[in-house]
Amino acid sequence: MKMKDSAQQERVYRLYATFFDKAEQERRWNPFRDVPWDKIPREGAHPILTTVAETFCCVESYLPDYVAKGINLVRPYFGQTWFAANWGYEESKHSIALLEYLLRSGARTPEQMFDLQNRLMENEWQLPFDTARRMTIYGCFQEMATFVIYVKQEQRAKELGDECLATIFRLNARDEIAHTRFYQDVTKVLMEEDRVGTLRDIAHVAKHFQMPGVGIVPDYEERIKVMRDDGRVDRGVFLQKVFFPVLKYLEITRQELQEAAWSKQPTAAE
Amino acid sequence: MARSRQDLLALFQTTATEIVEKEFKSITESTVISELGIDSLGMLEIVGSMERQLKIQIPDEMLAGIQTVKDLVDAVEKRQPE
Repeated sequence: MKMKDSAQQERVYRLYATFFDKAEQERRWNPFRDVPWDKIPREGAHPILTTVAETFCCVESYLPDYVAKGINLVRPYFGQTWFAANWGYEESKHSIALLEYLLRSGARTPEQMFDLQNRLMENEWQLPFDTARRMTIYGCFQEMATFVIYVKQEQRAKELGDECLATIFRLNARDEIAHTRFYQDVTKVLMEEDRVGTLRDIAHVAKHFQMPGVGIVPDYEERIKVMRDDGRVDRGVFLQKVFFPVLKYLEITRQELQEAAWSKQPTAAE
Repeated sequence: MARSRQDLLALFQTTATEIVEKEFKSITESTVISELGIDSLGMLEIVGSMERQLKIQIPDEMLAGIQTVKDLVDAVEKRQPE
């Protein structure tokens, strides 16, 4: 990502300012006050929902790595850096809400959760891509995928009569889609600066995409299998609800991406 | 000229091998693509390469439903010229 042009830097800052203003006006919430903790079912958390909540809690627990590594990568880009700081704050609430749910529902004891946290921190999340532009594109897909999964799990929690967890998933999902939009809008600015290079990077990120918990969250595959067997996550959903909607928002086609990946046309940076 | 289903199956096998860089020996139409270790985005890349080789385009909305090699061969076959 070059963004040497101060006008483009300013546009990204404006995108952040708009994002922040909207968040302050419409999206601020407090995990201790805005979640209906009294609506946890009397019989406790359903086992499937426990697995789902704990899996998300695990993924969100790598926040220190996400923030530290992510923010240093975008440090030269003012709007992006301030967004990363705010993103960390919003994501921390997701983690707190899920942790509180597991404890207050009685599904996990404090000892179990702190033991899990210690095990999680034995692994370190690494940046999946080494440029700010690729990480911005990664943000488009990853945040959108997380949004879709939270929405599906919100529906599942409602079906199982857990209004408390459904609320947590809804609040988290609302944040995730806002993050998606920011990353997508920045990607649009980047495409204006270097369309061929950005398209090539989108193709590259799509080819190597993995969700952040893969390889670091204990028993990750087994956890995803629980969701898959429960009918909430399947392979078609990623294309239908994540990949193609992101391309649509960016106003690009799958064919354009493939052409960019195969073409020898120089990028703006070359 | 339209290719036969057998040709399309062979093309899938070759393209998958090239893209995933893994040898697939016993692919049949009933093979579930995810069981080959190919995720949805990998499948998309294979489809893109097949489209390019066959000079066809498969609509995006057909792609999300593809689970097996048969589903993919059906989709390609429908887009081939008569």
